[in-house]
Amino acid sequence: MRFGPFTPQDQLTVTSLGLEFAVAVALGTGCGFWADRRFETLPWLTVLGMFAGFALGMYILIKEARKMARQAAPSKDEKKDGSL
Amino acid sequence: MEVSETLAHHILDHDFGVMFGTLHLPITTHTVTMFCISIVLLVLGLLMARQGKGVFSRLMHTLGEEYVAFMRDGIVVPGMGVEGKTFVSYFCTLFLFILVSNLVGLIPQMKTITSNIAITGGLALCSGALIVYCGIKFHGVWGFIKSFVPGGTPWWLVPLLFPLEVVSLLIRVCVLAIRLFANMISGHMVLLSLLLIVFIIGQLSKLAGVGTALPAMGLEIAMTLLELLVAFLQAYVFTLLTSIYAGLVIHSH
Repeated sequence: MRFGPFTPQDQLTVTSLGLEFAVAVALGTGCGFWADRRFETLPWLTVLGMFAGFALGMYILIKEARKMARQAAPSKDEKKDGSL
Repeated sequence: MEVSETLAHHILDHDFGVMFGTLHLPITTHTVTMFCISIVLLVLGLLMARQGKGVFSRLMHTLGEEYVAFMRDGIVVPGMGVEGKTFVSYFCTLFLFILVSNLVGLIPQMKTITSNIAITGGLALCSGALIVYCGIKFHGVWGFIKSFVPGGTPWWLVPLLFPLEVVSLLIRVCVLAIRLFANMISGHMVLLSLLLIVFIIGQLSKLAGVGTALPAMGLEIAMTLLELLVAFLQAYVFTLLTSIYAGLVIHSH
């Protein structure tokens, strides 16, 4: 599979993914903790929020990876030539 | 004063607010610095826009033109496409404001206002509003809402995917704010910590303190130069990411 050439936009999007994942988990945990304190159910909603945030982070990662794979896939013209 | 207190004193905001009855008007070091930067940039913008015949006037005008051309061809068009040309003025303002805010912290006795999450959050909210505005402008309200769900998604997955995509957009806006805030505050904490090392070791032994001063100063200079780079880099990253996110919304179909 061919990757690149990458533009600065691609590179910046990839470097943001780590932070996006971390923020997703933190946001989920924070919302869960807030809900736990409000409904006095500590620690169940915090744990649920953390897992939901983790799932959201994974969703963002997979979505971006699929988009990059689509961009990296050889075009029809390239297939005809037999080149990569 | 404890080390943590010294760090907090030099980095965090200080409120000199006044009370009008029960109403508290917060006048903080960061807000004052922000207004000063705004005034300086306004004057700079007016100088750049003016078409005089003097050397200084022509120089400023040329600088302004080069700056706008760089923003248009280097940041806005690659991120948003030609549709983004109408938003060049926003990106020019954003880049210059963040850059000057970052650089101001390197001047002694001045504060880096971008090391305050409220200010970076405000900037990110402006960018978030621009992203939403772009979506509504180019696709209409219903088209923008529909663009959250990828094409070909089964109907029963829509209630699950729509909130995920909306929160993804919110997370992107949060990431913009956190990245700038974290980079600026961490750089200044490192700078201050290096300086404080000399005094901490000096309290243990004066001779060792004097011996530490020279390497600490060397590191301090290196870190200041790195901070200079980070100031430019973060302003560039913030504006480029805003244009990329807006471009993703514009070209979502």
